Amino acid sequence: MEKLTKEGLEKLRQQGAATEKNYIKVGFSSCGIAAGAQEVYDVLCEEARKHNADVEIKKCGCVGICSAEPLVEVRVKNMPRVFYGKVDKDTAIKIMEKHVCGKMLVNDRIYDLKVN
Amino acid sequence: MGKTVFIKDTTIGGKDKTRDIYGILLGILRERGLENEVQVVRVVDIGVYGQGVAMRVLPENFLYSHVEETDIAGIVEQSLLAGKPLAAKLVAEDSKQLRIVLRNCGVIDPEKIEEYIARDGYQALAKVLGDAPEKVIQEMKASGLRGRGGAGFPTGLKWEFTRKSPGDQKYIICNGDEGDPGAYMDRSVLEGDPHSVIEGMIIGGYAIGASKGYFYIRAEYPLAIERIEKAIKQCHESGLLGKNILGSSFNFDVEIRLGAGAFVCGEETALIASIEGKRGYPSPRPPFPSVKGLWGKPTCINNVETLANIPVILFKGGAWFAGIGTASSKGTKVFAVTGKVKNSGLVEVPMGTTIEDIVYGIGGGAMPGKSVKAIQTGGPSGGVIPKEYFRTKVDYESLQQMGSIMGSGGMIVMDEDDCMADIAKFYLGFCVDESCGKCAPCRIGGTQMLRLLKKVTEGEGTPKDLDQLEQISHAMQKASLCGLGQTAANPVLSTLHYYRAEYDAHVNNKKCPACKCAKLVRFLILSEKCVKCGMCFKACPVNAISGNRESGYLIDQTKCIRCGQCFEVCKPRAINRS
Repeated sequence: MEKLTKEGLEKLRQQGAATEKNYIKVGFSSCGIAAGAQEVYDVLCEEARKHNADVEIKKCGCVGICSAEPLVEVRVKNMPRVFYGKVDKDTAIKIMEKHVCGKMLVNDRIYDLKVN
Repeated sequence: MGKTVFIKDTTIGGKDKTRDIYGILLGILRERGLENEVQVVRVVDIGVYGQGVAMRVLPENFLYSHVEETDIAGIVEQSLLAGKPLAAKLVAEDSKQLRIVLRNCGVIDPEKIEEYIARDGYQALAKVLGDAPEKVIQEMKASGLRGRGGAGFPTGLKWEFTRKSPGDQKYIICNGDEGDPGAYMDRSVLEGDPHSVIEGMIIGGYAIGASKGYFYIRAEYPLAIERIEKAIKQCHESGLLGKNILGSSFNFDVEIRLGAGAFVCGEETALIASIEGKRGYPSPRPPFPSVKGLWGKPTCINNVETLANIPVILFKGGAWFAGIGTASSKGTKVFAVTGKVKNSGLVEVPMGTTIEDIVYGIGGGAMPGKSVKAIQTGGPSGGVIPKEYFRTKVDYESLQQMGSIMGSGGMIVMDEDDCMADIAKFYLGFCVDESCGKCAPCRIGGTQMLRLLKKVTEGEGTPKDLDQLEQISHAMQKASLCGLGQTAANPVLSTLHYYRAEYDAHVNNKKCPACKCAKLVRFLILSEKCVKCGMCFKACPVNAISGNRESGYLIDQTKCIRCGQCFEVCKPRAINRS
């Protein structure tokens, strides 16, 4: 990476400004990893490939709802942004099939908490 | 965007009506031919608790509580068709959380500097590098930020002292030796947003005139260390650390030092000794580290959370930050809400939020079927705050008045099954283990107090023991060398103050009111209530329960370890605990 100047920093900031892309974020702090975030992440990646889904799968830190880890945040265009909690392999598959591909939210898994 | 409805029955105890209401709503939608326009979803948590069936309509974000079957048609008519709120059932929802320190935690990928920069990262640094360091300190003083490690010393003042101390070399240290039981916000910030701490440190270094910084992180946080290492490497590559930062003439670099996990090394003088490679012993102050710190040079030590606040303060201005919080405590505080609470996790609220709002509003209250008794803040240096005081607004002073402290932000929720003498024994035991042994009041006083507390919880205490506990506590507070010993007695004093009756019951009646102290409690199966289901038999970890489904069950008192598992699983409440 090039040494940054003030101008370079500003350019990087604008480049990274919010896009309207679909994303899935998996919490990858100690709490999430201990609860099984790696498996969820792997399953999501595999399912995304299988369905050729238009979604970016990312890692992030802990959002604060540690009791509900592994926590997965899903944002799909024209749908509310939601957090799925206590996600296991089956839920991860459902998230990809129903939510991302089928545009239907998954029942009994959403933690509707205002955090950020 | 089509409409979405979230449903959750938030009633505590009783039958969960979520599915019934869900079915009724779906039926009405089908009747009106709306089933393809509106998505109805059952959720696990809707952000309100104990308010009947709750319903949220998106994208308008109308939140309704106490929804009855008869209200559903109205909600469909008003909210789903006309897009208006149904005023009678509306809950005015104000999110009590305000995220400054945790602004990026769970939002960005902590291992990618680009994502931090995209969220205004390093903008504050770019801004201050054009200003005089004195101006930066002035801005910090205007913000009113106080140290988040626990003591609450004004950060701007600390920086000023260090800047004004004469010395050719100065240091800034990030204290990441988080050791309070139940507190983990520093770990979460280091793991979730390492660059914000580094940026805070670079700015701090610039303000006090330091060219070198140290991260002191405990070795028990391997992931935090890994992420900080990665972040430092990215900063070196992009010229945010090293020589001529962002094209200016300012040079600054940081290094990581690992703590071996001694609690006392969170105390600043012991921390400095540990970085120097010496044994982690505290030393008397003054001289304060701002005058004579690391290797005898002026040193500023800031907590992780304090440093994470700095970029935002300098980006948005001190006056903005000073507008949040109470008269004496500005900004927000991150609490790690743990223990017997529904939603354990990290909570960031403005100073001045009531304990009630944190424990019930955000934490969701006690576990099903239990009730909250008290909270404990400040870890082993803090005290308990009984439920009766939950309307108190949290800030440094109000907690101190109640005999507790802010501490690093651990908030442990305790319910009716927690015995206060036992809690005091736990925290004191922690301090006795972690005492470095250098000064006598802490070394001997702690051990003696622990001995007395053991006596009390085993039913062998006398009223005189309680007086003696108080006496030793005061002696330790006055005579100990460092913060560990001075505050180690706080849990004992505060539980004695608020729950004297509980101690008296242990001493006079040889009873533990919370039925927690193993030597003072007995479990018996009441044969007239017992339905012979065998749940207790299965739950007992030491096979102290014998019998079968025909003849019933019996507890062998000699084998029983009084863990209470049988009591918890017994549905007909046929186990007597006394």
